[in-house]
Amino acid sequence: MKRWLTRGVATRGVLLAALALAVALPLLAQAPGPDYGEFNFLGLDRRGAVWIAAQLHLLFAAFVLGVPMFAVVIEAIGMFGGDEKYDKLAKEFTRLLLVAYSATAIWGAILVFFLSTLYPRFWAYLTAIFAPSMWVYAGLFFLESFTLYLYYYGWDAWKKGAAKKAHWCLGIMLNVWGTIVMFIANGWLTYMMSPPEGLTADTAPQTVQLWSAINNATWMPINIHRLLANVVFGGAIVGAYAAYRFLTSKTDEERAHYDWMGYTGNLIAIGALIVLPFAGYWLGREIYEFSQQMGITMMGGFMSWLWIIQAFLIGILFLAGNYYLWIGMGRIPGAERFQPYIKWMLLVLVLGVIVWATPNTMIADRDEIAAMGGIRHPFLQVLGVMSAKNTAVNLMILTTFLSFLMYRRANKDPVVPWARAGTMLQGAAFALCAVIVVFYGVYGYFVTAIVRIGFSVYQVLAVLATILFVIGIDMAMLRGAKSRGEIRWGRMPDRSQYALLILAVTFTWLMGLMGFARSGIRQHWHVYEVIRDTSEQAFTPALGPAATIISICVLIFFALVGLIFWLGGLAERSVYQEAEAKVKAGQEGRAALGDPMPAPSLGDVD
Amino acid sequence: MTNLKILFTVVATLAVFTFVANVIPQVQSAVPREIVLSADMPPEELAAIGEEIYAGAGGCTACHGLGTRAPDLLGVVGGVCATRVPGQSCKDYLWESLVNPMAYIVEGFDPIMIDQSILSSQAELWTLVAFLESQGGEITVNADDFAAALAADDAAAAAPPPPVVTDPSQVDAVALITAQGCLACHALGGEGGMVAPPFEELRGQDPAVVLEGIVDPMATINEEYSAFAGTMPTIFGDLMSPVELDVLVNFFVGGAGAGAEAPGDAPEVPPDSAGGSR
Amino acid sequence: MKRYLSHPFWQGAIVIVVSYVAFEWVIGYVLPVIGVASAPVPSSVILQYMLTVLVGIVLYMSADEARWKSFKKPIHETMVARDRKTLRGILMVALPVLIGWLAYQNVRPSYAAPATLRSVHPAPPNQLTFRGETIELTGLENPLHEEGSIEEHLAVGKRIYVRNCVPCHGDLLDGQGHYAPAFNPVPADFTSSGNLPQLTESYVFWRIVKGGPGLPREGTPWDSAMPAWETILEQDEIWATILYLYDQTGFTPRTWEEEGEGGHE
Repeated sequence: MKRWLTRGVATRGVLLAALALAVALPLLAQAPGPDYGEFNFLGLDRRGAVWIAAQLHLLFAAFVLGVPMFAVVIEAIGMFGGDEKYDKLAKEFTRLLLVAYSATAIWGAILVFFLSTLYPRFWAYLTAIFAPSMWVYAGLFFLESFTLYLYYYGWDAWKKGAAKKAHWCLGIMLNVWGTIVMFIANGWLTYMMSPPEGLTADTAPQTVQLWSAINNATWMPINIHRLLANVVFGGAIVGAYAAYRFLTSKTDEERAHYDWMGYTGNLIAIGALIVLPFAGYWLGREIYEFSQQMGITMMGGFMSWLWIIQAFLIGILFLAGNYYLWIGMGRIPGAERFQPYIKWMLLVLVLGVIVWATPNTMIADRDEIAAMGGIRHPFLQVLGVMSAKNTAVNLMILTTFLSFLMYRRANKDPVVPWARAGTMLQGAAFALCAVIVVFYGVYGYFVTAIVRIGFSVYQVLAVLATILFVIGIDMAMLRGAKSRGEIRWGRMPDRSQYALLILAVTFTWLMGLMGFARSGIRQHWHVYEVIRDTSEQAFTPALGPAATIISICVLIFFALVGLIFWLGGLAERSVYQEAEAKVKAGQEGRAALGDPMPAPSLGDVD
Repeated sequence: MTNLKILFTVVATLAVFTFVANVIPQVQSAVPREIVLSADMPPEELAAIGEEIYAGAGGCTACHGLGTRAPDLLGVVGGVCATRVPGQSCKDYLWESLVNPMAYIVEGFDPIMIDQSILSSQAELWTLVAFLESQGGEITVNADDFAAALAADDAAAAAPPPPVVTDPSQVDAVALITAQGCLACHALGGEGGMVAPPFEELRGQDPAVVLEGIVDPMATINEEYSAFAGTMPTIFGDLMSPVELDVLVNFFVGGAGAGAEAPGDAPEVPPDSAGGSR
Repeated sequence: MKRYLSHPFWQGAIVIVVSYVAFEWVIGYVLPVIGVASAPVPSSVILQYMLTVLVGIVLYMSADEARWKSFKKPIHETMVARDRKTLRGILMVALPVLIGWLAYQNVRPSYAAPATLRSVHPAPPNQLTFRGETIELTGLENPLHEEGSIEEHLAVGKRIYVRNCVPCHGDLLDGQGHYAPAFNPVPADFTSSGNLPQLTESYVFWRIVKGGPGLPREGTPWDSAMPAWETILEQDEIWATILYLYDQTGFTPRTWEEEGEGGHE
């Protein structure tokens, strides 16, 4: 209101001042033409178009940035550990990158075209501030592409000795370029969320300092959050790729390979997921500190139900991730020992999901509200607040880690003399951690909000410390352990692979949802409290329509990724050509697993 | 078959998510109403906008209604405005009061109000008139008044900005102070308002602080006048050119005392002090 | 009996029934009897809980190959075995009838207002106007902490509360005033840990000043009976009432972290 009132007069003033200073006129005051371009395609409006282009660009970009991170790590494992199969796996990850990389660029270009044609004035504003960083961005993108080409096409040429090390360094460079590129782009979008202090609608964009615009309140938290999330996402998509190849493979050899690959992808995804909430807390805190109103809009305002949906999705992730491990134990000799524990772990997970998804304000009709004496349930409201939810999610993380530990231990019998004491120590660490988590969870009800926020950090720290401590003991204890038999890679029922697919779809959708939350809390602003969105799409959509758009994005993404997977399969086909003779053996393998579905004949795979 | 199953898994998962998100009650965040002034607005709407300006950005309530500084207008002014000056209609009286406040000072109050056309566009002033009329009387502001005001605003916006004075010697600080309406609150040589420090107090102060006080009045508040903090508009930095500000600051820190010294005689401050901190 | 108890399918069925009884009856009706504050759970929440349990059961049953087979066996047999003909026939009729009944329940016209999602604590504005005076809400503190004696403020707050608030919010501050049963949404219960301790004093100030009419959209439906007290009370009286509320309930208001602690700026 105030801003609107002063605009007329102040614009005149700015013109005067700008002329006197011999600075170019502010673009805002002089840009000719309309503020917004018209767009209507199959009922999709201009915001929908930009939304879908941005989301797809982001999904491909996340994949392209996430995969190199662990491809390099896996290559190093192969290089220093001397196991050829890791090297092959790293190369296979990288092959997926090539096509995904061009998809990223295509969607990026579409996004830029949409922005510059549909939001011309706002685009001019952004370019006036960020132009130099955009040129740097383009240059780095160029470097990144060529590093990727060298990395992939040089894989077999530089396989030995120093050449291999140089090749590995190429992989690291690839990550460096990619990370800088992402940081730059994050600067643009976080500027829209949390512009530096003191900007008004009349501030000429040319006068905004580039570094202050990039280094804004939420820039670093978003950088770190996205860096971790990219690893999670890359792992999940690789898992989905492996699942797809597993389901369509015709030989045992192929099946074993993709089973292992799917396991690795899943492990990476779940492992990185465990530390992701830390970065999330930090981001949330910075948002609150930047603007209390923005923070409340995000957590308690019209978006509060979004977090219930998020809880529901993360519940699915935990359940599916654990489920995959439990099924996987069926192919490990000696895993039967741990079967009885599964139902208790499942109980913790189910209770965790129930607590986490318990809404603080419930959907209820008039009579139910009257019966409850309010919108909150007198008993269940205890579960609706942060203390309960943090406790639940930390116990779920702990349980997931326990599943992984049992999976790891399944076919091994430690031979070190202190094995028994070690196991007991591990158990004690778990118990202590659970006690700490529950203690702070309960104690959280009796302290003020600020202290309570601190507690959530203690809880996560306790869980992370326990994980590190227990895994340390485990690695020492299982050194030279007696094996009860090799893991029978490939002997996995199909439904485990569908669990991997659901994991990947859920991760992708969750990213879309969180992106909506991040972008939606700006509400009717292009740049929060600086540049107002005056188009007809200035309102923030409800969860339903938003979910529909997110689903469309994810569907397009998986259609394209499916295409990429299929292309990946075409290239791979020659490798397995000689193995086709074993198709029959593969069929028998399936029959032995009790799968009634006949193996596909060679022709009908694609 | 396998491909179909995979397709089904993906689509079914998405369908479940979309369904769940759609069955919960939908809350959409609407855009707060943005005011667009147009000639065909009904009078009530004009008055509503005027009320927002009155209570909000116009800053009217800083003086009106508090009892001592300016008359309480709410609920009464619409009834008496037509009778104040014989032959002048209500809306003309109110308009005149806004753009030339010194013309009608109500008995018992000091002449402290500034020309509101410095702060607001003509169209905005008409919404204020409509609102004030609605306080105890009929709204007579009509579409013609408003259309003319809008046209005037457009013309003002389109007109080339007045030539910028770049030579400090051509700027007359006293004239500038009068033109900007500073004397409504500040006093110079005993003349002027009393809700803000007299300009003489600025003598000998740090030019940078004085400049800051002009462009960002809330930066430093004189304790003696803290009751009136927030009254001073924040627009003067935009209304004056850097050269004008420079001259003004020099005048304040150096020569405001007797009011007789020529502005040019004021001791020099570094010429970039004004431009530098902007 | 034992045969059933050890069979995965029936184990699953028992868990379903037990969970339903726990969510619907134990929480809703047994807890209040033994003195724990509780109430019937809304059907949307029951549905959500039951789906979670169902998913958990399916996951558990299918996590092990042998268990999965024996879990599916009764279902499979019911569909094909000769000696289950009668059961099959009953299910063939009962299942469609059940689904039809559910569909009918969903579409049948009813007088009940639809279930609504009301955000109890919607995001406050950055500033508000109090009788025309603009007050920045962000970072606003209760001015009475700084001036006068707290006992006097509390006495003022008590007087204001008793005169204005008791009819709806009750003399125990529990939202159970004489008029309370007539309102939907019901008056706020100040003794609940979900209200005062979750809010800053400036938030409470905003809610009292603007009342039901000043709720933003996500706080709808706008049928809150809370008046906008700015027309009746002075600012200091409202602040004193807020002091009184926190004093009486023993809660401390939520505070925000110090500016700049997070490292930016």
